[in-house]
Amino acid sequence: MTSKKRILIVDDSEMNRALLEDMLSDEYEILEAENGMRAVAILREHELDISLVLLDIVMPVMDGFETLAMMNKQGWISHIPVIMISAETASTYMDRAYGLGAVDYISRPFDERTVRHRVNSNVILGESRRELSLRLTEQVYEKEKDNRLMIEILSHIVEFRNGESGLHVLHVHAITELLLKAVMKKTDKYRLKPNDITLICNASALHDVGKISIPSEILNKPGRFTPEEFEVMKNHTVEGAKMLREIPLRENEPLIKIGYEICRWHHERYDGRGYPDGLKGEEIPIAAQVVSLADVYDALTAKRVYKPAYSPEKAMEMILNGECGAFNPLLLECLKDSEELLKNELTVLSMGNAADKEIQNTVATALKTGGTDVSNRTIRLLEHERMKSKILSDLSREIMFEYSVSPEMIILTDWGSEYLGMPINIMEPRESEFGTKFFKRKDFSSVLDKLKKTTPENSEIAEKYALTINGVKTWCKVIAKAMWSDTEPPEYEGAIGKIIDISEETEELKQLEEKANLDFRTGLLNHEAAKEKITALLSSGRGKQYALVFFDLDNFKQANDVYGHLFGDEVLEYLADTVRKNTRSSDIAARMGGDEFIVFMGYKGSIEPQVKRIFSALTGEFKGFPIKVSMGVACVDGGVQDYDTLFEMADKAAYSVKRSGKNSFRIYDESLSGVVTDRD
Amino acid sequence: MTVKECYEVMKGDYDDVLSRLRTDERIKKFLLRVLDDMSFTQLCNALENRDMEEAFRAAHTLKGVCKNMSLTNLAYSSSNLTEALRGRSDYGEDIDALFKKVKKDYALTMACIQML
Repeated sequence: MTSKKRILIVDDSEMNRALLEDMLSDEYEILEAENGMRAVAILREHELDISLVLLDIVMPVMDGFETLAMMNKQGWISHIPVIMISAETASTYMDRAYGLGAVDYISRPFDERTVRHRVNSNVILGESRRELSLRLTEQVYEKEKDNRLMIEILSHIVEFRNGESGLHVLHVHAITELLLKAVMKKTDKYRLKPNDITLICNASALHDVGKISIPSEILNKPGRFTPEEFEVMKNHTVEGAKMLREIPLRENEPLIKIGYEICRWHHERYDGRGYPDGLKGEEIPIAAQVVSLADVYDALTAKRVYKPAYSPEKAMEMILNGECGAFNPLLLECLKDSEELLKNELTVLSMGNAADKEIQNTVATALKTGGTDVSNRTIRLLEHERMKSKILSDLSREIMFEYSVSPEMIILTDWGSEYLGMPINIMEPRESEFGTKFFKRKDFSSVLDKLKKTTPENSEIAEKYALTINGVKTWCKVIAKAMWSDTEPPEYEGAIGKIIDISEETEELKQLEEKANLDFRTGLLNHEAAKEKITALLSSGRGKQYALVFFDLDNFKQANDVYGHLFGDEVLEYLADTVRKNTRSSDIAARMGGDEFIVFMGYKGSIEPQVKRIFSALTGEFKGFPIKVSMGVACVDGGVQDYDTLFEMADKAAYSVKRSGKNSFRIYDESLSGVVTDRD
Repeated sequence: MTVKECYEVMKGDYDDVLSRLRTDERIKKFLLRVLDDMSFTQLCNALENRDMEEAFRAAHTLKGVCKNMSLTNLAYSSSNLTEALRGRSDYGEDIDALFKKVKKDYALTMACIQML
């Protein structure tokens, strides 16, 4: 971070921006935006290190009020002070700006002292607010930790005396939370707020605190209670409530109040048949109703001295059948809805992380509802993460992008932006160069559609597209992950992704494939590839006239023996070259191995002139070495012949040439069918 | 011509601008930048194309620039035009007249600044 604090000036008049910059640049680093849209883009990038925004009202594209609204929506307004600067002095304008969270209003024409003074004091104010909120976060965290700890110690003492594992308190806590959240989703009848849920869950730990006053021989009796013993046992509700009420000077603490309700009435039943007071229906406070259901559910699924553990399914069945007394039908529905969640929650729950998770929740809730902003520590952590990811993305040499739905924009990394020659922030991406030229228009909307159609559980896409990078069409893979909010229901917010150039890979693959088909010495096709191509032609071009020409060098052995292998190789290359020059591109020429070659070609009428031409082109000399070949030809003339048959025929024809003095060619006919070649 | 004389000729408020911007040097620097300000050109184009919304914004910006520099005369005429354009969707004769006045004041102001 720079030592100078940063200020963002948003004004459509360059002159006005310059004037303000002139007044402030000795103390601040100035960022400028010519309209609200640009400002939003800059804020998105520098959210964490902008100390103040000076904002004009009347601007093109996105005006000052819309900008403020966006800052509210993104939550920036809570930690970035905004001073409006405008020639509009109508009080409705001011009211609206203040209503949207602006901290101050300077009207034009402004003077230097006013601007400097108000900017300075609001920057300082903003800083100290951040400072305070950091301390508050820490204090809330510490306090909650202490609270929870005390409650847990207390409850564990009770459970310890009761011979229970200590997990009961944690389980009741977890079930209570799940049920309350389900209730909140279903109805606002009980006016539950996130704060209340935290409170009730914490207080739930106290539900059996009254058991501390029950003699342990009754408390831990394995068999059935006598009616007298049961009366004593029942009394733990009243005792617990009394203990809480009698805590000096604390009777008004919300935790104590709720704890009282839970202690006293967590054995009441909806039909009025519970104890100690026989309350009925909604006379029982919701906190007590929920905790009593949670208590029963956990008691059923846990092992106790007097009973085995029931399966979750069995427990659910017993509760729904009313075997544990009557409950609020709404809560029973919530319990049913939470069945799966309950199973998971209770199996993963271990002591340590339950407490931690709760504290995190509390802190998050306290911060949200208290209207304070994100802490500096978090900001530092975020800043660190941001730097890390920037460096990694620069190093990776991949084009990374961020897409946001509202306002719709694409944000590139520094490297990506430089590489593509496009701005980092691309507004209206569907109409931009990015969305119309880099991506083809239809490809870009297909990417966006695909992302939008993802789900939070399955949010990744990967597709290949032909993109135009700096004027060159390039095959790329686009991998992106849609970002869904963690609200209920989740909202699609945008995506992050990267674009990987796969043209090299594709090109290399293609070349490798080609190479595999080629004979390494001569660059002609190899036998395998030729056979494949010829077979394809034979089956697609039925009825056409084709000829397979086979030849080898009459005296190749001599070339190798007398002139050496290097010279032999040169001869082969020369032959291949001659073949290449004397065949058409539609013909197939291949080296089969050694000094044997084949040519496959179409013809019309008679094959002889074509064969003769090739034969005489081949015959001659190379660097004083006489080149002579024996050539056999087999024709497909309307009849269906497979490659192997055809090859055998050409081979036989060539063999007969060899036997009758070499250096000639012969076209296969029936008379040669009986020839047996070396190959056989 | 001194900055003070310049303000006298173009009917601006020198004392006001000096009290806000503090030095002649800075006033002059920004007066010269008024020459590059595009809002007047934008205003002319917008009115010609009958783009009333854009015209309003341009007039508004021009007014803001003038107020910042205490160009009282031009600020006054552009302010009148701005108010006439606020929320307007049709071109009318009243605008013609107001625009003429702005043009005249703008020409004078620019001429004075150029002599600095």
